Amino acid sequence: MTRALASLLACAALLAGFAARANATPKSGLTVFAASSLTDALPALDPSEKYSFGGSNTLEAQILQGAPADVFASANMTIPQALYAKGVCSKPVVFTRNTLVIVVPRSNPAGIKTVYDLTKPGVKLDIANSGVPVGSYTLQILKNMNLSAAVLKNVVSQETNVREVLSKVALGEADAGFVYSTDARTVPGKVTVIKLPAWAQPKVEYGICIVGSSSNKAAAQTFVNLVLSKAGQAKLESFGFLPRVKPKPAPKTKRK
Amino acid sequence: MGRRAFGASVAVATAVALCFLLLPVVALFAHTSPANLLDQLSNPVVKDAFVVSLKTSLVAQLLIVLFGTPTAYLLATERFRGRSLAITLVELPLVLPPAVAGIGLLAAFGRMGLLGSTLDAFGIQLPFTQTAVTIAVAYVASPLYIRQAIAAFEATDPNLAAASRTLGAGPARTFFRVVLPLARGGLAAGLALSFARGLGEFGATIMFAGSLQKVTQTLPLAIYAEFDVNFDATLAMGCVLVLISVILLIALRTGLTWQRSRSTASTSLFGLSRST
Repeated sequence: MTRALASLLACAALLAGFAARANATPKSGLTVFAASSLTDALPALDPSEKYSFGGSNTLEAQILQGAPADVFASANMTIPQALYAKGVCSKPVVFTRNTLVIVVPRSNPAGIKTVYDLTKPGVKLDIANSGVPVGSYTLQILKNMNLSAAVLKNVVSQETNVREVLSKVALGEADAGFVYSTDARTVPGKVTVIKLPAWAQPKVEYGICIVGSSSNKAAAQTFVNLVLSKAGQAKLESFGFLPRVKPKPAPKTKRK
Repeated sequence: MGRRAFGASVAVATAVALCFLLLPVVALFAHTSPANLLDQLSNPVVKDAFVVSLKTSLVAQLLIVLFGTPTAYLLATERFRGRSLAITLVELPLVLPPAVAGIGLLAAFGRMGLLGSTLDAFGIQLPFTQTAVTIAVAYVASPLYIRQAIAAFEATDPNLAAASRTLGAGPARTFFRVVLPLARGGLAAGLALSFARGLGEFGATIMFAGSLQKVTQTLPLAIYAEFDVNFDATLAMGCVLVLISVILLIALRTGLTWQRSRSTASTSLFGLSRST
């Protein structure tokens, strides 16, 4: 009985300890909630912050449920704009852009050469679900190319963020997947990239905002400024992201 | 410590523990109205996930009973070299993180896995199929059944089996007519625990089987996928799983009081606590 009591008390003490630790807010270091596609780029840009990566819509739900984020970097503008409309975060600004590609395993078991091969029966296609930015971009591209029905019938799994799509393809379990071109670069040698036509690409703009409940808004603003700065943009570009402002097309590239 | 202080501290600790354990469950039901809950039950995502969960769980439990019962019987009745190692191996999936189980299943049965090319030769591809969900569930849930079954078989009186043999019954007849009826309470308890664990399976499934509505999306997977899309639906599915667990536990408790000792039941409950 005394032993039971002792272990009970020990448990209680442990619990109390955890609770205390959970309450203690760290003095420095921002908590940045960022889209999965930024997993490699942001920590390289600023290694001193704490990052939580996930599907932008998952992070949105967490922020709405009161998760302690200071900065939110989403893979689209829609989600941060919706948060701004709800008064949950500051007015979002575009901080980078991206494009979509198809990835296939290096061994390419389904023999996929172009997006049109995805309509072949039996192809195991992995995409992100429509709530995730990359999932909705995928649907947009297929719609733009008039391939929605023909391709979507081959979907075998819907993931909650882009990196899960990437790993299922890199592992060779899925025959193909839609990811950002920046994700494809993170597993060189494991996947082959198939480009998608520029005319079918949706506008992939990443939005960043400061979360209203942040207790460290000044530092959050400094972080946002860093991301938008020349150095920050150069860092993102070194990971394959596109400059936040679309460069004006030079006249000679405009044919027809 | 005075007698009164002792009693008070026990009571306080118990109250804290009970509140802590009950609060999330109560909150789940308090967060939504019964009307909304019923409304969500007709949501196709919820319905499809329920069907997938039920189907895969039933098949998995059938396989677990079919293969687990003989395994447990052998481990309980025979004494051989490596027996304790075998029991440890049987219990391994119980303590393995489900995500690790998922990677392991991919490495074994995936297309690029150990058995991938062999299976491929037979035209079998497991990942992203309902079979993959069943395998994942069977893998993580079977130890709960087998553990409990070993305990149940060990608890049967060997003299009864011996008497049956001296009266001329063969080993098979003795097993089915004497040992199995004696152990049935423990086996049922093991099955209930393994069913509950299987129903909650998440990590191994999402890694090995993926997530697609109507095909591989079980209730826990649907909860994860719907979390940021339709919170009401996740609450409804959460409530469904809680109700199933409560029913299983009550069935287990009432079954145990007339069938089995408390000590074996409490050790196996450890496994159930990991499932959620």
